[in-house]
Amino acid sequence: MRILPLVPAVLLLLLFMAGPVLWSLYGSFTNAALTGPNAQNPQWIGLDNYSRLLEDPDFPRSVLLTVVFVLLSAVVGQNILGMALALLMSRASGGVSALIGGVVVSAWVLPEIVAAFVMYAFFTGEGTLDQLLGLVGVDGPNWLFVAPMFAVILANIWRGTAFSMMVYRASLDDVPPELVEAAQIDGASPTQRLFRITLPVIKSTIATNLMLTTLQTLSVFTLIFVMTAGGPSNRSMTLPLLAYEEAFNFLDVGYGTAIATVMLVVGALSSVVYIRMLRPGKD
Amino acid sequence: MAVPTAPGTTGRTPALAAPGRRPSRVAANAVLVLIGVCFLVPLAWLFLSAVDPGASARTSLPDTVSTENFRAVLTADIALRPLLISFVLSLGSATVTVLAAVLASYPLSRYQMRFSKPFLYTVLFGTSLPVTAIMVPVFSLAVRTGLLDSIWATALFMAATSLPMAIWMTKNFMDSVPVSLEEAAWMDGAPAMTALRRIVVPLMRPGLTVVFIYVFMQAWGNFFVPFLLLRSPEKQPAAVTIYQFFGQFGAIDYGQLAAFSLLYSLPVIVLYVIVSRSVGGSFAMSGAVKG
Amino acid sequence: MRQTIRNTSVLALASTLALAGCSASGDGDGGTADTADGGGDTITVMYQRTEGVTALDELFNRIKPEFEAANDGVTVELQPIEAAEDDYATQLALAQQSASTAPDVFYEDTFRVRSDVEAGYLLNLDEYVAEWEDWDQFNEGARGAGRGDDGSTYAIPLGTDTRGIWYSEPLLEAAGVTLPWQPENWQDILDTAEQIKAYDPESVPFHMYAGKPAGEGTLMQSFLPLLYGTEDRLYDEESQTWNTGTQGFKDALTFLDTLYDDGYAVPVEEALDANLWQTIFDTRLPDAKLGGVVEGSYGASFWQQGGPFEWPEYADSIGVAAFPTQNGQAPGRVSMSGGWTLAVGAQSDAPDLAFEFLTLAMNFENSLAYTVENSQIAVRDDVAGDPSYLEANPYVKFFTDLVEVTNFRPATADYPRISAQIQEATEQVVTGAAEPAEAAAAYDDALVRIVGADGVSGS
Repeated sequence: MRILPLVPAVLLLLLFMAGPVLWSLYGSFTNAALTGPNAQNPQWIGLDNYSRLLEDPDFPRSVLLTVVFVLLSAVVGQNILGMALALLMSRASGGVSALIGGVVVSAWVLPEIVAAFVMYAFFTGEGTLDQLLGLVGVDGPNWLFVAPMFAVILANIWRGTAFSMMVYRASLDDVPPELVEAAQIDGASPTQRLFRITLPVIKSTIATNLMLTTLQTLSVFTLIFVMTAGGPSNRSMTLPLLAYEEAFNFLDVGYGTAIATVMLVVGALSSVVYIRMLRPGKD
Repeated sequence: MAVPTAPGTTGRTPALAAPGRRPSRVAANAVLVLIGVCFLVPLAWLFLSAVDPGASARTSLPDTVSTENFRAVLTADIALRPLLISFVLSLGSATVTVLAAVLASYPLSRYQMRFSKPFLYTVLFGTSLPVTAIMVPVFSLAVRTGLLDSIWATALFMAATSLPMAIWMTKNFMDSVPVSLEEAAWMDGAPAMTALRRIVVPLMRPGLTVVFIYVFMQAWGNFFVPFLLLRSPEKQPAAVTIYQFFGQFGAIDYGQLAAFSLLYSLPVIVLYVIVSRSVGGSFAMSGAVKG
Repeated sequence: MRQTIRNTSVLALASTLALAGCSASGDGDGGTADTADGGGDTITVMYQRTEGVTALDELFNRIKPEFEAANDGVTVELQPIEAAEDDYATQLALAQQSASTAPDVFYEDTFRVRSDVEAGYLLNLDEYVAEWEDWDQFNEGARGAGRGDDGSTYAIPLGTDTRGIWYSEPLLEAAGVTLPWQPENWQDILDTAEQIKAYDPESVPFHMYAGKPAGEGTLMQSFLPLLYGTEDRLYDEESQTWNTGTQGFKDALTFLDTLYDDGYAVPVEEALDANLWQTIFDTRLPDAKLGGVVEGSYGASFWQQGGPFEWPEYADSIGVAAFPTQNGQAPGRVSMSGGWTLAVGAQSDAPDLAFEFLTLAMNFENSLAYTVENSQIAVRDDVAGDPSYLEANPYVKFFTDLVEVTNFRPATADYPRISAQIQEATEQVVTGAAEPAEAAAAYDDALVRIVGADGVSGS
């Protein structure tokens, strides 16, 4: 009886999330395709798709690019910049904080595809970035071509930092002022206060935020799809784009779902790491 | 694990600022402004290009300000019908999600159950399940059940994808409503669902508004799901038509693209402003995701 | 309490709205001839429509009322897909996944026919064409493009195309090139490109596509004309194996490498834009900023009245030349041919009606109009012999003559994936990510992964 209210949510989640995840797992052991003979009679091929992954030179590179993208844009970029913004805001004047906060949040509120267009115009050849570089006499290239990862990483930081900023902004308010004042009286420097008091107090928030931003960044598709489509020469082909290309461009569904399954495993592993981080602080 | 914070209670305690230290405030202001400018420049492009008939990827003040770009995209096929469809999709999925999330959160928040914690961790993982990872099976599912190209099935799927986050947020908001209020109702013999409807839900209306708008915004911006699940051109929401618009012209018409982008973004910006105003402080949303 | 009630009613209203919105739009999608009871049939027609590809859309919209009038109670539902070629193929394949979404009649690229026949998407049309008197008008080469591996006919060709060099007469003339220009071998192209570059360093002397964004354009307008001008081929028809380690493959990549490295082609970052072809027809050729480009016979359709980049004076400025073989070896010229077909869905509930619609779309008048409007090479003898076909644009005879030396893609079920690997190889080379020999070796490895060790031959 007590769990009855959970039923609609559980049904939705089972039908549209758990079901497809299991199906996807099953599909990754078949040679299902959207064209050719396997479209009619998909066969169980065991681990063939996975062994093919290991032989495919695109795959390890794609894993590496995904890790780089997540580490630099989410774990480092969004988190540190978000934290820095939150800390600065707690010191700055109210008006400035509100204004800058509004600007940063705007990038986050925009629909992802619009953010992607904006970033495309910013980084493309003779775009806004090159225009700015021109002001200091530098003739800028097409960044989407010469440095696609640089462009998509910065784009994701631009778009996603607001989330971390808001989370940290709210959590800093929870740090008991008495603790900070006590430390101040003891002569602790601002840096010491930050690392010895503030950060430990909000440790669980940091872990949760890291997890959320990691998982969100892991599944970023539209931003990269619009900006570079994974190119040039696959130099920004992260796992979601690779899975899309295999399943929907090459119509090789089995192989595409194998890549997707790898993505799920990477996501699950990173969740476990963060949840571990979270635990000692709570119990 | 969660430290719930009701929205609106974010006091402005200067936790770190040493009161009266002017130089530090000036420096903080300066750095903030600098970062703000970096975030602003790309946004400025969007606004300036939309009113500039001769827009390019560069950011410049238009020679002539005109509504030409807007007029060019404000046709039934390009912007209007797709925006209406986006609205129907988003409203549908936000409604379903909020209902399911409120119901699910009640036992999670109120009863000590052995599976609550694992369930919540699963839900947390589900918050960011890569949609690309499950699109192929979802597509097959839609095909087999004849629900491909169906707007309501697409809305239902989008509701499911945002449900984990919604449950997470709603549960946190619900935790902040004191149990003592319901206890009185229980004493009077009211069923739990009555207590939920009459006492808890009204008290967490601001929180639910946040959840509703969050889900609405997610659905509004969702490109990939309708891109695959909706087939007919006349059922495509704005996220998809704007993508087609981007790809179809040799030399991208930046002005019209920017104008369409603004039209498409406007509703979510307005919603965000409403929620941040009415729920107290522009950072209310974060209350829900605090660990 | 009052609040709660209001909330509930708002939610109820909202969900009603949502449902209303859906059922209203849901009515139309019963679609694909679900109702198999003769009279009330719906024929769904799926095809590609973009800024550049409008001829088919016009054709279908023109014949829809005619067909509906002739067949009482039948509705024709047009489903244009607004997407690039690759995306269209994806959308079509996705729609084929169930009988309820699979179209009755659809537009299908010739190179995907065999693969999709194996997937069971296309209806065997042998019995239908046997009773179709117009079928005699289709020439043998074109018929072959619609056959499956079993030799049966599954798709009816709408038209075909050939490929050659389109060049800017004003730019070449100014650079001192004798007109009409006809390069005899690959080196001639490079020499002329150098001459143009010396005259106008700002111009793009000679472009050939490369990389994934250009899709099949990279194969048909670039890599394959190069490869088929060497002694080597992609596929050995006799042993039904894919060739590896050929010199021709490396030479073709090396030529592209030179073209891009020496600054003759469009700068690589612009070349990797999927919309490059549009800028070529829209501005680069009309502005005489591009010396030459290898493109399809359909090129003139973009400039004709009603085309996406109208340019009434194109015939005064644009010349055409055949693409030469590597060293001028016989037959001296080389071309590639593809083209599109119409097919009937294997899961169609009303195949007879679907085929009838197809024959209406492809009767003499409609074929002629489509062929002329889309600058296709005629596949029907009666269309080919019609004066209005030959007069459609100044290049028809030139491109029709190229049929003698043209080649077709090895359109096996594996071809789309192999094509993607070749696009990848060219992209690696022109971006400098790999040397031609490395990219060719990577292709060989990929080939083995795709077709297995038994499916390849060569050193």
